[in-house]
Amino acid sequence: MNVVILNGEPITGSVFDTYIHDIAERMSASGHEVRVLELRDLDIKGCSGCWGCWVKTPGECVKRDDTEQICRAVINSDLYVLASPMVMGFTTALLKRAADQIIPLVHPYIVIEGGEMHHLPRYKRYPKMGLLLGADADTDAEDLALTEQMWSRMARNLKSQLVLTAVTNRPTEEVARELATVA
Amino acid sequence: MSSLLLLNGSPRGERSNSMKMLSRVAEGWVQAGGAEPEVLHLTKKADSLRAIEAFGTADTVMLGMPLYTDSMPALVKTYIEALAPYVGRDDNPRIGFLVQSGFSEALHSRPLERYLTKLAARLGCEYAGTIVRGGGEALQAMPDEASKRLWERLRGLGESLAREGRFDVELLTQVAGLERLSPWGARWMSLASNLRLIDFYWNGQLKKNGAWDTRFAAPYV
Repeated sequence: MNVVILNGEPITGSVFDTYIHDIAERMSASGHEVRVLELRDLDIKGCSGCWGCWVKTPGECVKRDDTEQICRAVINSDLYVLASPMVMGFTTALLKRAADQIIPLVHPYIVIEGGEMHHLPRYKRYPKMGLLLGADADTDAEDLALTEQMWSRMARNLKSQLVLTAVTNRPTEEVARELATVA
Repeated sequence: MSSLLLLNGSPRGERSNSMKMLSRVAEGWVQAGGAEPEVLHLTKKADSLRAIEAFGTADTVMLGMPLYTDSMPALVKTYIEALAPYVGRDDNPRIGFLVQSGFSEALHSRPLERYLTKLAARLGCEYAGTIVRGGGEALQAMPDEASKRLWERLRGLGESLAREGRFDVELLTQVAGLERLSPWGARWMSLASNLRLIDFYWNGQLKKNGAWDTRFAAPYV
């Protein structure tokens, strides 16, 4: 299985960072192809809502930065994992900056799915989504539930499905095993 | 007079749909006797720094944004993270929000609305409510009469914020408009979308940009 982890931890070598790399190593050791994209090291200019990726250069952001690398890695994976510590009750701005630039993967045209407006797929197949959250002292169950809800709606809009949400208080061995089985 | 800090969290900056809507709320606020608001655009570096400082002295803060991939734009999350030092402070401002989405139904913005409600509680701010509005991208194409009614309601929300310290609940429902498609509406839209009858806005843009032939491009596989 091909897995890409979008690491939205801004601080190198933090407890959360170590946890994510441990998960990646365990999954690699059991034969999966795992790649960690360190978002903090990438040049992500940020989506400015120009719709260029839909109406000027369909499928590609008009800005020249590392967006292409992120989109390419996600669409070619079986499972993409959004990984982030919780800050002020949600995942980091760093992770959000990357996620905002993932819309070239869908088409602007509208389709009705489950009675709601969503986007037409651009690709034939889409990977599944996982969510790894690092809880701090300020995080409660409601924060985690709201965060999961927003990302699971995003998964739906990306023709994907949120298949696992895990918090970093669980042993990496267990989470790595579960991630390998859900995709 | 009570002070209002008006924060525009749209990545499109001054010319955004969010800003258009926020301006109407500000008009209502002033009509009802509030002080001329301080307006800051989070796209501008100097404004975003000022916005952190000004949070500490404003009586009321109004933060508006478009829905981006089902939550707040990264720009707004950056600002929220910078508010961490204010958590639990005694004299935090009252806070209200505006979320507008491209999709027509208000339901897409509800999870973010719940997050923002919790954010107000986390900061220890009195919560004035969240204005939710679908179909924001269609604002330019809206007939004058329809947009006039929307502008009037947004002004009304600004007035209620100034007078009562919170948004009028009835006006919030009216501004939200369509919560979700009715079963018949969904069926009709489904048919129209299968026949590609509702994509004229995008088609016009694609043709204008000479991108019509590559509109289904899938460059990364």
